[in-house]
Amino acid sequence: MNTAELARTLNAARVCAPEVDREVAGAYTSDLLSDAMANAPENGVLVTIQAHKNTVAVATLRDLAAIVICNNRPIPDDMIEAARSEGIAILQTAEDQFAVSGRLYPLLRAGS
Amino acid sequence: MTVRTDLHLHSCLSPCGDLSMSPAKIAEALAARGVQLAALTDHNSALNCPSFADACAQRGIVPLFGIEAQTREECHVLCLFPRVDQALALGEELYALMPDVPNVPERMGDQVYVDVDENIIGEVEKYLVASADLGLEDLAARALALGGLVIPAHVDRPAFSLTSQLGFVPDGPWDALELVRMPPDDGQPPPEGRLDTRGYPLITSSDAHYLEHVGRRAFDLDLAGDALLGPDGSVCVEAMRAALARRPAPGRRAR
Repeated sequence: MNTAELARTLNAARVCAPEVDREVAGAYTSDLLSDAMANAPENGVLVTIQAHKNTVAVATLRDLAAIVICNNRPIPDDMIEAARSEGIAILQTAEDQFAVSGRLYPLLRAGS
Repeated sequence: MTVRTDLHLHSCLSPCGDLSMSPAKIAEALAARGVQLAALTDHNSALNCPSFADACAQRGIVPLFGIEAQTREECHVLCLFPRVDQALALGEELYALMPDVPNVPERMGDQVYVDVDENIIGEVEKYLVASADLGLEDLAARALALGGLVIPAHVDRPAFSLTSQLGFVPDGPWDALELVRMPPDDGQPPPEGRLDTRGYPLITSSDAHYLEHVGRRAFDLDLAGDALLGPDGSVCVEAMRAALARRPAPGRRAR
């Protein structure tokens, strides 16, 4: 699954859509950035409500493909700008972290 | 006597700080903007404090040596010290408690420390905007034990603040709270939806990452006749603490 298919699967808004739709491998759900920094998988998706540019910094360090912002949290322009320059997709959905994780689990769990 | 004060400044040591933010340039900008008392507060490290001491001496600015520490809860807290060695000691402790995630300078920004002539002395390996494995209360206790002041940073901001991480201002030995915007001090309890600062003294500071921001949001610290400097020439923490307690503190009577 790539980031464009991820957006369709979640029926999420593509707030930042880089030119290249990267392949997604795995996901991690956390609202503590230090936890995501330690545990999110490379090329994975971070499911979170932390809608600010520091989340992009963590995604950059972990080489994540996408960030899914839940609960329709507003996404500031500087976050979108940072994600664009790093080639990281940002999706926004009204669903919460539990619902998004549930949808992604059968699609992205290891070995599936 | 009031003193123009900026207690939150980043240098080229912070990955998000501009490379032009050498302690020498920061001190020059502080002097040009009339700031008399200033603290250098890089993320989780005090390694630019020695040259900040020299730079402030050259410009006639009273220095505090600080760290913007990041706790286990991901709250940013300004820990400010009168002496360089105290700040360096806290920095070493925090560094040992940080995860082994290396900085990627070309993507995240450089983390260099420099001398007063802007020569690079060294580079910090771990990415500094990370949480030390230390709780908020333990950090505060540690900073106080080292002889410092403790001020939770940008409490009204939606990232890395008491508000964003905890949802409220907890009890603590806070000498003040740093805000981006001062609320009206009208003696009324905060209306629904506005941050309740619970009677703690409030300050604002620049949180400068670029030279043009140095000294913005500086505030006036009222020393009320106390000497700012102790006999050893460094800031007297008790005078500083008393002066911070004279800052606006909405809701103080309710505490």
